[in-house]
Amino acid sequence: MIDFVQNTIDGVMIGSSYALLALGFTMILGVMRRLNLSYGPSIMIGAYLGTVVYLQLCASPIMVVAATVAGAVLAGVYVERLCFAPMAPGAAIASMVSSFAIWMQLEQAAILVLPRHTYPFPPLATGAPLAFGPFLVRTDHLIMLTCALAVSTGIQLLLYRSRFGLALRAIINNPVAAHLIGINVRTAIIWAFALASAVGGIAGYLVLATDQQVTPMFGMWATFKGLIAMMIGGLGSIPGAIVGGLVLGIVEAHSQWYFGPQVRDLVAYGLLFACLVLRPGGLLGEAPLRELSAGRRGA
Amino acid sequence: MDDYLIGVLSNIGVISFIALSAFLLLLTGEISFGQQAFFAIGAYAAGIATALWGWPLSAALCWGAATAGAAAVLVGLPTLRLSGLYFSVATLAFAEMVRLIFEQFRYQVVVDGEPVGPNGTDGFRGIRYIFENDVGPLQYLGLIYALLAAAFAAFMLLERSRLGVAFRMIGEDAVLAGLHGVAVARLKVLAAGLAGALAGIGGGLYAHLTTYVEPRIFDIMLGVHSLAYGLIGGLGTALGPLLGVLIDIGLLESIRPLSGYRMIIFGGLVAALLIVRPRGLLDERVVHYVRRAWRSRRRPQRLLSSGKD
Amino acid sequence: MSRTRRYEMLIVGAASICLAGVAMAANVRAKADVTCRPAADKLQYDCVIKLTNSRTGEPLTGVMLTVGADMPSMPMMHNVRPVKARPGQEAGVYQARVVLEMHGDWALQLNMSGAVHDRVIAIMRFEADSAAQISAPDTSARHKH
Repeated sequence: MIDFVQNTIDGVMIGSSYALLALGFTMILGVMRRLNLSYGPSIMIGAYLGTVVYLQLCASPIMVVAATVAGAVLAGVYVERLCFAPMAPGAAIASMVSSFAIWMQLEQAAILVLPRHTYPFPPLATGAPLAFGPFLVRTDHLIMLTCALAVSTGIQLLLYRSRFGLALRAIINNPVAAHLIGINVRTAIIWAFALASAVGGIAGYLVLATDQQVTPMFGMWATFKGLIAMMIGGLGSIPGAIVGGLVLGIVEAHSQWYFGPQVRDLVAYGLLFACLVLRPGGLLGEAPLRELSAGRRGA
Repeated sequence: MDDYLIGVLSNIGVISFIALSAFLLLLTGEISFGQQAFFAIGAYAAGIATALWGWPLSAALCWGAATAGAAAVLVGLPTLRLSGLYFSVATLAFAEMVRLIFEQFRYQVVVDGEPVGPNGTDGFRGIRYIFENDVGPLQYLGLIYALLAAAFAAFMLLERSRLGVAFRMIGEDAVLAGLHGVAVARLKVLAAGLAGALAGIGGGLYAHLTTYVEPRIFDIMLGVHSLAYGLIGGLGTALGPLLGVLIDIGLLESIRPLSGYRMIIFGGLVAALLIVRPRGLLDERVVHYVRRAWRSRRRPQRLLSSGKD
Repeated sequence: MSRTRRYEMLIVGAASICLAGVAMAANVRAKADVTCRPAADKLQYDCVIKLTNSRTGEPLTGVMLTVGADMPSMPMMHNVRPVKARPGQEAGVYQARVVLEMHGDWALQLNMSGAVHDRVIAIMRFEADSAAQISAPDTSARHKH
């Protein structure tokens, strides 16, 4: 019983970082209606910038966070300009494949600059884990959870209490109508990308600081975790991203405890597949998006 | 022909199979990130058949194609009502599941005093059919291209047949195609099965070419690459994916001095190309113009006499 | 469906014809021991390969050995030209300098022709300062929490 609760606690902690990744992913997907395969790699560029700052300038964690977020935002805007902005509305797969090409580009650029297999990352918090009765909670996990909650609340407030958020929701709902009303769709999309990348950058920092290292595989890992969490929770919904992230984290923690790391990944993908087949909208999602298809009619 | 060139051409041939497989599904309007799963199933099945069961190569390749095709149909059925992004992510999830299952899959038989067979993450070594039976590299290259030519001929025939038209109709607008009397569900499953079988043949050929497969080879990179080849080369004709493979490997060869920057250059070129030609180089428009020009050249009398006479 | 059947038959027929003339012969099966050391230049490694007959254990001489390399995690996406190996001092020992494109796990393809016709794959991890044979690939490259 204790194991079960401990695993659930661990799962919730990790799940909060997945939730943040899913949050950024769902923002881009909601606004663009296209899959951005470069999401993880753009976060990785930020992380590499952060580690360079950490190693070369011996900077404080705050500087590293700033560098990570800045790098992720720059990479995210680069992806948007190259892969999404110039594409005609019907060219959904072209955008996706283009973002994949840029994924490979970003990954190779990162490996060229920092060729080693792994680089150190400053830790979130050192020290013994805290004890709550029979359960252990790592301090850095707690920080991660708190930050994740803060960021998601911030994004929720931004989307529902600010003019920019209103513009974004209008674009998500109907881009043409939003344009007709006078919303500058192009600029808003760039800002949405920047914001999503910033959220991803924060998520990336939290995950890497807990691991205390960054590897070139991080980009792909982040994309997949964000994608799985987002699809489980439901596209286009912020509570969905959070729920999806937490569910994924909990399921993974339990699978790893009972079956080991490889089966853990298998269960994660199995859960995704089952969710898609049984409930494509996800747990909290809205009606399935029909727009993304290979036919030329795809919106 | 030196061995290196034969090796490169063999690689091109084998990868073309998975490119054609993704292309077939693209024709029906479905973006599949998961064809590498069927490539993997074909590779393992064919490898097991020759190395563990002692089957001849032709039987092993058929077995690989059959298992991959069956798996594709098994996946195609539950994902029928998914469309667009959901279908794509489902194929991605399925492909990763297959890869992870292969990481756990162990099936070894003692052959010649040594255990041979898939061994989880260690991979499957010793698929030595072409060495045990003295098949030279050139002969194997011939086999690969003979099969590829057959597959390509099948595609050409498909384009001119009712089935091909039906596939493209489903790709354009599945609801409208259904209203026209096209059996959408059945044809989608058929396309999935054919694409799976195609990828399975490619996988079997790959396994025997390299004599070694491991689950890591069949990851998402391979899957998205196979999609990318069709998109770069063009979605108008089966030549498109083949052109895409040629461009990728060709670029690989020609920018040898900059080999460390290859992905950076290639990625940028692909992104730029897709801005200008979102459906590839040989997209439907180009193919239409070429066909029209070809037809008008073959029948000049018709055009001349379509005037006052 | 009958058209597809016809094509399948065609394919099987073609493949069978291709292999009709193949001779069946049991031949020598090789085993290889590979050790590599980083050379002076970056991403270059000097490898010493010992070839033995896997059934009898005797060293294999007179073999034309070429060493190719491919990354399992990115198949066929690199451009490492195969290098011919020189015979070393002892019988059955060969040396080759391998030039790679990046650090990480590589599958070295030891292609043998001449006296022995075979191929052995050796998976090794190449880093800046070391090169070691690995039996299982590093799946911990994916984050574990």
